[in-house]
Order: sequence, then structure tokens, then C-alpha cells
Amino acid sequence: MRVLAALLLFALAAACTTPPKSASVAQSRLADAESRAAALSKAGDYAAAARHYAEALRLATSLENADAIASNAINLSVVQQWLGRDAEARAALSAVLDDPRTPFSERRKLQAELRRAILDLSSGNLGAAAVWAGQAERRCPELRCEYAPTILNVRAQVELASGHGSDAAQLAAAAAERSRSSGSRAETANALRTIGRARSLQGDQAGALDALKQALELDRELGDPRKILADLAALERAAEAAGDAAAARDYRARSVAVSKAMNDGRSAAEMDVLLRR
Amino acid sequence: MNSKVALPAGRFSGLLLKVNAFLLIALVLAASFIGLVAYKQGWFVHQSPLHFITPNALGLNKGMPVKLHGFTIGSVSDMQLSEGGVDVQLSIVSEYLARLPKGSRARHAREAGVIGASVIDIIPGEGKEPIAEGAQIQFEPARGISEIVDDFRRQAIPAFNEVKAAMTQVARAGEDVTQILAGLRKEVEQLPATHRAVRDLLKEATFATSELGLQADTTMRSVERVAGAMERSIPVLTDKLAASIETIDAAAGQLRKTGEEAQLTLKSARPLLDHGETAAREAGDVLTAAKRVWPLSDSFKENADGMLPIDSFEAQSKGGRR
Repeated sequence: MRVLAALLLFALAAACTTPPKSASVAQSRLADAESRAAALSKAGDYAAAARHYAEALRLATSLENADAIASNAINLSVVQQWLGRDAEARAALSAVLDDPRTPFSERRKLQAELRRAILDLSSGNLGAAAVWAGQAERRCPELRCEYAPTILNVRAQVELASGHGSDAAQLAAAAAERSRSSGSRAETANALRTIGRARSLQGDQAGALDALKQALELDRELGDPRKILADLAALERAAEAAGDAAAARDYRARSVAVSKAMNDGRSAAEMDVLLRR
Repeated sequence: MNSKVALPAGRFSGLLLKVNAFLLIALVLAASFIGLVAYKQGWFVHQSPLHFITPNALGLNKGMPVKLHGFTIGSVSDMQLSEGGVDVQLSIVSEYLARLPKGSRARHAREAGVIGASVIDIIPGEGKEPIAEGAQIQFEPARGISEIVDDFRRQAIPAFNEVKAAMTQVARAGEDVTQILAGLRKEVEQLPATHRAVRDLLKEATFATSELGLQADTTMRSVERVAGAMERSIPVLTDKLAASIETIDAAAGQLRKTGEEAQLTLKSARPLLDHGETAAREAGDVLTAAKRVWPLSDSFKENADGMLPIDSFEAQSKGGRR
């Protein structure tokens, strides 16, 4: 009976699949470069991953494979930013954003524009970040696409960096709502962190601490030390603004511990200086 | 007194005839000479006129030969002043006129370069039809000595400059050679001292070698002693090693038996493994197929896309992250 069920399932799968096309040498090299890059980025070897993504981008360009060009350019920009090479990250995106001839899909264009907004915001270019985020939002009809929470979070951070706390809190709340409904815990945590920082800017330290603690819990579940460090730093500032020096000191000490564990010597040294004050 | 000179009879008979014959012969000889000269001068050859006009007829003379490829084909027959300078008439043997194509030019040249006799050299043109009788041709005046010297100077000056530079370099090299020779002389002066030092070194080396020989002798004696001790110890060690090898051999036999048993076990497990591999491959195929089936495709979206996460956290500035 089991054998019969397996055979039926196999026959169904075979009927649904199209026969595989014979891949050329360049196509198999492209697939190989992409899989190597993905494995290396997962293993944390970002420099090697960047090399393989760049090779994959070159191969995809030689094959005029629009989707592969876009995906590898975006992945390359992500890895380059992780390496701290913002200019190279921005240059990688130009393969999509500065090429009007290649027929990229709307989804890939949205991803590239969103990445560009993130890059511009990280380098403090608020105006450009707002423009690129708006461009990405136009490709996301009624903010119902999968990247809606990310777009709203980027816009919220633009407002926060511009000193507009209430607008930032509003946008971040919308991002949190959409990310919860889509099940994106990372963007939920990002939204909560932005809400906390926006409330802190508005003087609502209690509300800020509440949102930031929620963000910290989510980030600890996700296991991203960079985000945990950011949450602890924001919590420390909120506690200090609330006048709770003991809690602020506690958050500082935890920040230093996390930072040292991350081997970020520079950040740990700065935190040590703060603790000695 | 009437005196008469007696003349021999018949002395002047036929005198008139003789005088006439003499005059006739003289006339014939003169006419022959004139004919010979006229023949030599080409008075009996039909000549065709050509002419050219030159602004300066210096060096040109009446009677100057006209040559083609170095062969005389005519001469300068006349020279007259005209509006453009001097009109020079050439008489070319008509037989050779057919060899002068249209576009031919005349130039003033000298037979042996600068100092030979002056001639009019005809440079044939590139036309196919022969030049017409009485036509005017172009003329290139000869270059003067000053022009030749100027030309020579213009071509020679760069060569002289290079020679000058080369001579300067040679002079500098000479200075270097002087310095090298001076250095070499110093080295040669120091050679006796070096020679003495080498001899001393050789003496010391000989002494050290003899000492080393003595030490080597001592060392060899020590080695002999150690070899004797080893010779005594080796039989004991050999016995112990033989016992150990027997033990290892027994252990190896046991391992071989275990390996054979493991091989049998693996052989029996092989069909199971093959089945498992086939099942895993089939499961993979089924999963791949299921990913492409519409109702299930959303569940595998993250893996199928192959994209790294686009995280708004990356938007925080480096200062903001701290």
C-alpha cells in the first residue's frame, strides 16, 4: 500500500515537473558560483562570498539572465555592506538601477530600490533614502507586498533620523502590524526598536523601554548579536533619560559583554570609557 | 745690240693645262675638306628644333651638346633674349625626336658631377606620344655651388652634432677609465699584503686541520666504546622485540578477523543502504516536484529565491547602532 502511495506521488511529481533543460557550461558555473556564495555568506566568510557573488553577477550578465543579474547584484550589495564597503554596495546595485534596457521584474526593481534606500540611510543621506523608499513603495501596491514592513521601517527610520518622532512612531507601528501579520519577526523587532527610539525622542521613556524590551526579546530569539547590542544601547539611553541610573549601568554592562563577545574591540573600548564615567 | 735669251724648246708647252689641273685638284681637296667638316658637323643630318626659356642662361653656350641617357642627340643651336629671359634653341636629330615623349624636361648638368663639362640633359617625360617638332619644353637650371654647399651643410650638421655628442661621451668615459685605472692601481698596490694574509690563513688552516685530526681520533675511540656497549645490549633488545612482534602479530590476526566480520556485516547492510539512497533520492525528487506545484510553492519561497535578507536594520547608521 505504501509502495503504491509512493508510486502515485512520484507519478504526480513527474507529471508536474518539466523535463530539465540541458544546462550550458556557463549556466552550471553560474549556479555553482551562486551556491558557493550562499554557503560562504551563511558561514560568515563575507569577503569570499562577495567574490563569488561578483563572479555570479558577471556570468549572469554574460548570459543576459535578467533575474540572475538582479538577484546577484542585490546579494552582492548586502554582503558588501556587511563588509563595510558602502560604495561598492551602492555600485553593485547600479547593475539594476542604472540599466533601463534589461527587463527586470517589478519585484527585483523593488528589492534593488529598497536596498538603495537602506544604503543611503545608513550613510546618513536622508533625502536620497526617502526618495528610493518612496520609489520602492510605488512598486508595492497598497503596501500589501512582502516588503511592505521593510519599506515602512525604512521610512520610519528616515523620519526618526530627521527628528520627526511622531511620524516615525506612526510608520513603525504600521510596520509592526504588517510584519506581525506576515510573520516576519525580524522586521517586527526592527519596528519595535524604532518605536522605542521614537518614543524616547518624544519623551515617553516608559513607553520606549516597553517597546525596546519587546524588541530585545525578539532579537534574542532570532539570535542576532548586532541587533541585541542595538537594543541594549537604546535601552541604556532610555533608562538614563528616565533617570534610572542603575538600570542604565546594567544595560551598559550587558552591552559591553555582548560587544566583547562579538570581538568588536572598538565598540567594547568605547563602552569601557562610558562605564568609567 | 739686240740680244735674245734662248729658251729650251717645249719648256712651257701645256702650261695652261697644267695650271688648270692644279687648280682643279686644289678645289676638289678644299671641297672634300669642307664636305668632311660639314658631315662631321651634321650638316647633312635632318635636325628638329626644340626650345626652352630660362630666366638665367649662365653656363649655357651655343653648341653645348644635348644628351639623352648620356647619349648626344643634339646641341644648343641658338640663344636669344626674350620676354621671360633667354630663349634657347635646341637642334635635335630628327631620328631621336621620336624617343622624347611629351612632358620631357631639360636640365643643366655636368658630365662628371660638379666639375665636368656642361651639357643639356633631357629627362624623358611620362607621356606616350613623342614630343612635337618645335615644341617648348621645361628647363631646370643647375644648382650653384652655394646651393650645393648649403644642402650639404643642412644634411651634415645633425651628423656633426651626433659625432660631437659621441666624442663628449668618449671624453667622459675617458675620465671614468682614469678613475678605474687609479682604483686598480691601488688594489694592485695592496696585493702583496693580501698575499701575505692568505698565506697566514693557509698556515692557520693547516694547524686547525691537524688539531681536528687529533680530536677526530679521540672521537673515534669514544664511538668504538659506544659500539661495543651496543653490541652487548642488542641481543637482549632483539629478544624483547621478537616477543613484542609476536604480540602485535596476534593482535593483527584478531583485527583481520574483526575486519572480515565487519565486511560481511557491510555486505549484508549494502542492500539496505542502496534502498535508503534510492529512497532519499526519490524523496528529493518528490520534494523538488512538490515545490513547483502551485498550492505548495509558497511554503518554499525563501529557499527558492536564493536571496539574502533585505533587512531594514541595515539602514541604521553606524553611530545609531551603538
